[in-house]
Amino acid sequence: MIAIRNVTMKFHTKQGTVQALQGIDLQVERGEIFVLLGRSGSGKTTLLRCLAGLEKPDTGQISLAGKVVFSDCERIFVPPQERELGMVFQSYAIWPHLTVFENVALPLTQAKRKLSKQVVQDRVREALQLVQLEGLEKRPAPLLSGGQQQRVALARALAIKPQALLMDEPLSNLDARLREDVRSELRELVKKIGVTVLYVTHDQVEAMALADRTAMMDHGVILQVGHPQELYHQPVNVTVAEFFGSVNWLEGRITEAGVIKTEIGTLHADSASSVGSQVVIAIRPEDIQLSASPSGNANEFEGEIVSTTFLGDYSLYQVQTRTSKRILKKAMGSPIAPGKAYFQISKDRIRVFYNRELSSLSRKA
Amino acid sequence: MRRAVLRRLVIGPLLDRRTVLVGISLIPVAALTVLVSVIVWISFRQLAGAAAGYSLDAYRELYLDPFTYKALLNTAVFSLITVAVALLFGIPAAWLVERTDLRPKEIPQTLMVLGLLIPSFLTGMGWVFLLNPRIGIINTLITGIPGMEWARINVATAPGMGIIQGLGLANVAFIMVSPTFRAMNPVFEEAAEVHGLRFFQTLHKVTLPLAYPGVLAAAIYIFMIGVAAFDIPAVIGLSNRVFTFSTFLYIQVQPLDGLPRHDLAGASAVLMICISLLFLCWYYRALKSSHRYAVVTGQSYRPRQVELGRWKPWAWAFLGGYFLLGQLLPLSMLVWNALLPYPQVPSLSALGHVSLNNFRALPIHQLLIGAQNTFILAVSVPTLTLLFSLGLSWVVVRSGFRSRFFFDVFSFLPHAVPHIIFAVSAAYVSIFLLSGFLPIYGTIYLLMAVYTLVWLSFATRNLNSALIQIHKELEEAAAVSGIPLLRILRKILLPLLGPALLNTWLWVALLTYRELTVASILATTRNITLPAAMWGIWLSGLYPKAAAAALLVVAVMVPLVFLYWYVGRRATAMERTL
Ligand SMILES: Nc1ncnc2c1ncn2[C@@H]1O[C@H](COP(=O)(O)OP(=O)(O)O)[C@@H](O)[C@H]1O
Ligand SMILES: [Mg+2]
Repeated sequence: MIAIRNVTMKFHTKQGTVQALQGIDLQVERGEIFVLLGRSGSGKTTLLRCLAGLEKPDTGQISLAGKVVFSDCERIFVPPQERELGMVFQSYAIWPHLTVFENVALPLTQAKRKLSKQVVQDRVREALQLVQLEGLEKRPAPLLSGGQQQRVALARALAIKPQALLMDEPLSNLDARLREDVRSELRELVKKIGVTVLYVTHDQVEAMALADRTAMMDHGVILQVGHPQELYHQPVNVTVAEFFGSVNWLEGRITEAGVIKTEIGTLHADSASSVGSQVVIAIRPEDIQLSASPSGNANEFEGEIVSTTFLGDYSLYQVQTRTSKRILKKAMGSPIAPGKAYFQISKDRIRVFYNRELSSLSRKA
Repeated sequence: MRRAVLRRLVIGPLLDRRTVLVGISLIPVAALTVLVSVIVWISFRQLAGAAAGYSLDAYRELYLDPFTYKALLNTAVFSLITVAVALLFGIPAAWLVERTDLRPKEIPQTLMVLGLLIPSFLTGMGWVFLLNPRIGIINTLITGIPGMEWARINVATAPGMGIIQGLGLANVAFIMVSPTFRAMNPVFEEAAEVHGLRFFQTLHKVTLPLAYPGVLAAAIYIFMIGVAAFDIPAVIGLSNRVFTFSTFLYIQVQPLDGLPRHDLAGASAVLMICISLLFLCWYYRALKSSHRYAVVTGQSYRPRQVELGRWKPWAWAFLGGYFLLGQLLPLSMLVWNALLPYPQVPSLSALGHVSLNNFRALPIHQLLIGAQNTFILAVSVPTLTLLFSLGLSWVVVRSGFRSRFFFDVFSFLPHAVPHIIFAVSAAYVSIFLLSGFLPIYGTIYLLMAVYTLVWLSFATRNLNSALIQIHKELEEAAAVSGIPLLRILRKILLPLLGPALLNTWLWVALLTYRELTVASILATTRNITLPAAMWGIWLSGLYPKAAAAALLVVAVMVPLVFLYWYVGRRATAMERTL
């Protein structure tokens, strides 16, 4: 449905050039919800705008539904008007001088589509029904709440029956509670319509909740594409691992195949790295088993719980190891008393990365 | 079919609708280029007999003539005094309105904005009636006292005209400096007071230094207006042979005797352009640093109000004194003299001479033509100006073209170059270059074109700032949903720009209505405007009759002013532009 090949783009500013996209390759299948995830400034918006035709990439090729809409070597650039896309902007871009109805109807009446008045009426009503805004047709746009604006933007984008729906952080302007509700509604809604969605966000929770597939972007490069679970459990590098939830980082050296000497002791883990190389190890807090008595399994260490933070549906423990490294542990269920404790890490939950990425780690530490 | 589609796709980005807007913007850019190049060109061109030659003779003559330096000195003195007087009244007034508990603020604010609309030729005339060495009422009073002949005040000097011009521009100073005071974060002043500085120390050491960049920008801007000013030097100085640069240029192309010297005018204009551009650069540097102190705080704050207490009557006296001197006194003099056969000191016996004779003696036919032309211009010029500046604004603010800087510079040219230069150049172009195939000289179209060009900066800067405030995504949302560019303009941008467009339109209409500088060069019997007709009468020395004509000009203007006041209320347009 959406195919992006080797797209690059620079911005020329007074301070110099910014390489916003450096060779993006991406495929989005028909009917899929694809989430583009990355820190702010990683180039997500730029990529989305290139797709919409609001920016012109320097090189590469973009096609929509099999039609090339941009190609630098064939000198093709289809203007945004002819790409038949729906887009929800981060600011929602609800035209403030129009009512809700007029906002949704304007693209139907002013664009090249020749629709009869009746069809326009029906389409607008249908779209407003989808987003549950019936009855607000006459409301002037400035009188809408943030959540309502977001719905109008969505209705406007859907009313034109777009080839694909582009959304740029559509929930970032809503408050946290509303965001959660809208998130699940949104997935339900677009699945019902069956429209292809390319969704941009910097919030990994949103990505996990919404995506069929997700891509992690950083510094204008796509680091990993896959199901959210894949990115969570099998991150290809430190940046991806770091971005998805919290991580306990350990430094170590592979002493023999499958054995890593670390700050807290010897760990058994599968690793592709060769013997002798320096590595970093990522362990997610929820992959750590905590118990008051030793179980005798491999990868078990002794420590002391120094603090417990009760966070409602789970608790967070800080465990002091013998070598004074602190480890975070997340656990559901009844709290464990402070004091001596044993923690164990299952072998298949340990991710091992080459040490050369350490520099980026120590920066964050 | 397929090929057609392909072709459209390939050349699409080159030939899309944006070309229309760029095309619209290129028209004024081209016209400005022509006018400025022609002025440079004629400065080198000598008309000796039939053959034309090129030389530096005009420059030599200009720079060897002591008269030039006299005019330069006059211009400098005139402009400096203008700035001093404008700031002397404008800054305290702005401070009083923005930072003290003076109430109601709306009265001085409204009067200041309305004062901007009073044509300066009116106040100039009023002051002539008051202070002319021969006929001025005050002089008559002074010399009436035995032994006081020496105290006669002569307003027809560079400092005298500067004071009057400065009184007129205090409004501009007020409007330019007000935002500086309004946006000033009170924490600086509070910090000073907490640390023991007293009121005047705080004012002197904190408030004014913080306002300094904004004040400097206003000062340079007013100085530039002074250099280019025509109305007051013409109304007061011309008949007394006291010239500043604009009137110096004026007599070179409209000499009282002899032939017009276009080469000299060209050389003077080139000098004037260079000076103006220097000041423009300075102005921009000042403007940039005036944002340096802008304090970015998340929370909004209200500037703290200084309590005036027992100083309040003095504050009102100051403001009242300004309005009296700046507007009331000269304007009432104008009315008084329009009703008299010759200037007289107000008295009961003079009251016996009051009549409408001056109005009856006016050349009604000419004034009617003038009124008609003025009306046509006041409607067409703002419309054309808006059309072009909308195109320019869009290219500068929105297009993202690399060449937008070039358009930005050109849209600013009419602001930097004194208007009389465009008029002189346009006269030359239409008489000597176009007359063969486009006999535009002497028609209202010539005035229309030049007016449109000279107000372009004003309108473009106004629209630029309005356009910047409209979130770009509002247009992009329309583009993505398939709405073509020109429709985006009509359906999204125009309605959102509505208030700014209306405001700008009215301002340009008012500026056009009272315009004298360009008209004094380009108006003939056929395309005469109301101010030009009045100017003709004044030039021929019939002062009371000219006053009557001026009052007619104002009478027609009043409804327009009220319309503006009703619609605009606030000085938003001016504030954004300056
Ligand atoms: N119009 C622009 N001009 C200059 N630089 C830009 C522009 N738009 C984006 N950038 C730069 O490109 C990079 C990517 O920006 P963006 O795509 O907005 O990131 P994201 O949406 O992921 O936060 C950033 O470094 C940003 O500063
Ligand atoms: Mg973004």
